[in-house]
Amino acid sequence: MTTPAAVPELDEVTDLRAAPMEPWQVVVWNDPVNLMSYVTRVFRTYFGYSADRATALMLAVHHEGHAVVATGPRETMEVHAQAMHDYGLWATVRKAPQ
Amino acid sequence: MTAAMVVMPITVIEEFHLAQLVDDFVELLDGSRDDGDPAIERLTPSPYPEDPDAAAGFTHSTRDDLLDRRLADARRVRSTMDEFGAGIDALTEEEALVTHDVLLSADHLDAWLRTLTAIRLVIATRLGITSDEVATTDGRHDVYDWLGYRLELLIQAADDADPA
Repeated sequence: MTTPAAVPELDEVTDLRAAPMEPWQVVVWNDPVNLMSYVTRVFRTYFGYSADRATALMLAVHHEGHAVVATGPRETMEVHAQAMHDYGLWATVRKAPQ
Repeated sequence: MTAAMVVMPITVIEEFHLAQLVDDFVELLDGSRDDGDPAIERLTPSPYPEDPDAAAGFTHSTRDDLLDRRLADARRVRSTMDEFGAGIDALTEEEALVTHDVLLSADHLDAWLRTLTAIRLVIATRLGITSDEVATTDGRHDVYDWLGYRLELLIQAADDADPA
């Protein structure tokens, strides 16, 4: 390692500040296979949601075709999406609409 | 985890057929994973289906890691079941219809739920089930429906056993 000789450019600093402000989402999509009770249980036990909230999210997936189940930093959302895939749910990650 | 054991009553003949499905699933995961099998694809969806650049940068866990976890789950599930080394023909009809309790600890429970779900996803892919309208003419749907019934029973037992 050497000592950096240059002072960071101002716009780099701006980028670092902006990055964590941009929320990402985990979206779970409807599929004809997974049981409603199972999807509710996964939302409840994995995310720690109340039975009411987990049921509401499951119904949103079922009736609207998809639902946002978590919002936060991109890396965390990717971990959640992987966990959903572990449970056999169809999950994607996207930037939260502005 | 201090969750109670979950009791899963099941007939010997059902456990035998379930064990066969789990064995088939283990064989699938142990085989070639790169021949574009749609069932394998369904178990490993992309988190960024519409963004190839983001998908390429997604390195937290590879497809193989995910399938390895499915395999570990399936083997854990199989270890809680009877060996059935002598096959089902060694049993009388009466013995085959006996109901007994399979006891599942909390860590085995998740493996069971995930594995039954994954096997249903594989069968659904093979049967081409793509909508909630399920055709009833194909005999293999019976296996799919029965597996859904077993999974539903297990979810109910698991929900009942939860502390909250």
